[in-house]
This record gives sequence, structure tokens and C-alpha cells, in this order.
Amino acid sequence: MIESLEGSEVVDVTIIIDSLPSLLKATIMTLFLSCISVLIALVIGFSTALIRILKIKVVYEIASIYISVIRGTPLLVQIFVIYYGLPQIGISLDPISSGVMALSLNAGAYLSESFRASILAVDRGQMEAAISMGMTYGQAMRRIILPQSLRIAIPTLSNSFIVLVKDTSLVSVITVTELLQMSSLIIAKTFEPLTIYLTAAAIYWILITFFTTLFDKFEKRSSKHLVR
Amino acid sequence: MQVIEVKNLKKAFGDNPVLDGVDLSVNKSEVVVIMGPSGSGKSTFLRCLTYLEEPNAGIIRIGPHELHTGGKLDRKRKKEIRELRKKTGFVFQSFNLFPNKTAIENVMEGPLTIYGVTPNEAKELAESLLVKVGLGDRCDHYPSQLSGGQQQRVAIARALSLNPTVMLYDEPTSALDPELVREVLQVIKDLAEEGMTMVIVTHEMNFAREVADRVIFMDGGVIVEQGDPKELFDNPKEERTKRFLTMAE
Repeated sequence: MIESLEGSEVVDVTIIIDSLPSLLKATIMTLFLSCISVLIALVIGFSTALIRILKIKVVYEIASIYISVIRGTPLLVQIFVIYYGLPQIGISLDPISSGVMALSLNAGAYLSESFRASILAVDRGQMEAAISMGMTYGQAMRRIILPQSLRIAIPTLSNSFIVLVKDTSLVSVITVTELLQMSSLIIAKTFEPLTIYLTAAAIYWILITFFTTLFDKFEKRSSKHLVR
Repeated sequence: MQVIEVKNLKKAFGDNPVLDGVDLSVNKSEVVVIMGPSGSGKSTFLRCLTYLEEPNAGIIRIGPHELHTGGKLDRKRKKEIRELRKKTGFVFQSFNLFPNKTAIENVMEGPLTIYGVTPNEAKELAESLLVKVGLGDRCDHYPSQLSGGQQQRVAIARALSLNPTVMLYDEPTSALDPELVREVLQVIKDLAEEGMTMVIVTHEMNFAREVADRVIFMDGGVIVEQGDPKELFDNPKEERTKRFLTMAE
């Protein structure tokens, strides 16, 4: 319990306890948005990375423009374009779908660059060793290059996922009841912004610490061959 | 019987010609050592043999697989190149072992992926090959846990795992500390005694003298001189060969 100089309570524990069920329920939405979006983003990121590495005609240009546009504009603008803008050309998505679409398109562009960099970071000799045995390009990629590049990509994947979890708070502006939106709703009733926002911050922090630990474990496990 | 036949092989990087019409025939069980100053095209020549570099002109035959240059790189041609590579074990200067796989997994990878044998068969084969190169007790070590010499011996076992007709070595001991060179050369020597056909790019003169049936001296993208090692080392005919040998000594 923190007390201000005048002695009145600034952070009230009972308010935290009362609002916790609603906040946790909203956290599930935050988690849902993060997990669905990251899965879609992984698919987008991976395929666009391959397209750019293989320099496949036409789609290469499309992939490059996609990455440039997404990375060159704010996520909030992207959310507005999708939720408020697209209905004008007849594409109306509900808030959650709009949110998932914006978040996964956004994260996908960043993941694409991570994947591309990690594939290119694998020593050229690995591909040569694989194809010199008579493997096809695809076999060499699948069996030799990608497993190694995945390990290289883990730290940046972890980073992107953390950013994604935090970015879900932006979809509160299109009325998705995730953690931040729920906090604001509770504050409208209780007039306790500090308590509630700090609680929300703590939940974000715990969530992200959990995922960071998970990624660290995964990285250690996939690096066991590097330990002498 | 000639196992390798190369005719008029040419390769340029941009405007820079690296191979300027190289011919080579290698008999079954013959051990050929290629020497020459750096930039003479010897590594490029070896890499062209398995199309790690695509030659600009010429014909390459290894065993029954013959490849003419200049064809369109379609599905059929890619398959032909793969067939040629399956029969050609290639050993790299920098080993290029798969770092995320153990020694035995490195050797199992080819038979599993290329020939589709069962994991048990692959394991048995890999074990016997690792024993052969003297690393039977290192099967479960990762490359990072092995010395350079041991890594190169695993790489040789890996190249042998596809039962190649010929073995090609691109400076196999150049990345090794001097005290580790011998163990790798010994493995190559054992293979020579078993009758493996081999082409070896190396700077190890004593090794060449001891093991090679023929030494080829390359310079400026052509074969300058070739012959019996004793003959070529002690009695070189060409001026360029003489100069190289004096420098190397």
C-alpha cells in the first residue's frame, strides 16, 4: 500500500482485487490477439522472406512494397485504415478481425526481415555442402539451412513478439475490449487511473516476462550444439 | 578405364577468365594432385567438376554421368547435375560440417535424404565410416566439440556416405593447424590404398610425392605441366613450374 503525503490512499488494494476478474478476462483477449496475430505474421513473414531470397518475379516486387509500406507507416494509422477506411470500399471487418489483420500485417513485415536476415546469416558453405551431396535446393533449405536460421532468428522473433503483445493495446482505439480498453472502462467507473493503469502495466509485464523466459529456454535448447 | 573425363573446360568470372580450356582424364583408382599458385584456377576447376560453379564451356563426365555446358537449367538438367554430385564426394577446405548435427548425424544426412534409407541403416553405415576415419568414439560429438582434424575426417566420412565413384578434395588441410594435417592426410592415404579415385588440390608436396600417381601443375587457368610426382618435382620442364617449386620450398 502506497500512501501519499496527506495520508489518503493513492493505490487501493480493494479496487485492484475487485477489478482483477475483468482485467484478467481482458488479458485473455490480449493473449488471443497476440497469439493469433503472431501465427499469421509468422506465415506472412516466412513466405515473404523466401520470396525475397528466391527473387521470385512479380511477387518479389509485391513483397518488397508491402514491407516498405508497413514499416514506413505507424501501426495506429494502419489500424484506422483497416477499420474505418476499408468499409468505404465495401470491406467491413468487425473490430477484432480488423485488429488481428492490422497486427499480423504489421508484425509480418518485421518478421520477414528477421527471417531473411537469419537465412542469409547461415554460412554459404552449408548450402554448398548440402547440394554437393546431391540434395535439391528445397531439401537443403528444409533440412540444413532453415533449422540453423531458426536458431539465429529466435532473439529477434522474441523481440517482435514482445512488441506485438504491447501493440495489442493500440487496438483499444477501435473498441476491442483487451487489457487497456478494459482498464479505461474500469477507470470510468472507479476514477482510479493510477491504480488501474499500474495494475494493467503489471499484467503486461508479467505476461512478457513469461514469454521472454520461454524464448530464452527455447534458445538455450536449440544452441546445445554450441556448448563445448 | 577412365572415371573422370573433362574436355576444354572454361570458366570466367565476369570478364576475368579463370579456366581457359582444361582437359583432364583420370583413371580408376588413380590419385591426382593438383598444385599451383593461388589464383591459378585449381579450386575453381575442382568446383566446376560438380557444378558448384557452373562452367561456361566444356564437357564433364564422371562415371556414366556426362554433362555438357550451356544447357538450359530446367528440371531435367538439375536432376542430371544432382546425379553427378551423388557420385562425387566433395571435401571442403573449411569442412562445412552441419554444426547443429552430431558427427554421426552429419554422416547419416546424405543416405537419409538422398537414398532414403531407414534411420537404422544410415546409423550403421555412418558408424562404420566414422570408425574407418578413426572417430568411432566421437559419434555423438558436435562439430564444435571436435578438433579441426577430427572435423575434416568427419567431413570425409560424410562425403563417403553416398558411396561415391570419385572423391574431390579442395585444399583439405589448408585450414588446419600443422599438427593436425597428418591425421587427415593419413585418412586420404588409406583411401588411396583401397583404390578410391581421387583428385586433390593441395600444397602438401611430401604428401603428393608419397601418394599421388600424377601431379598436375596449373597456372593462369591452364594445365602447365603434369606427370609422375618424382619426375615433376625433381625435374620440372616448364619455367613456371620451376619457379613455383623454388618458391614453395
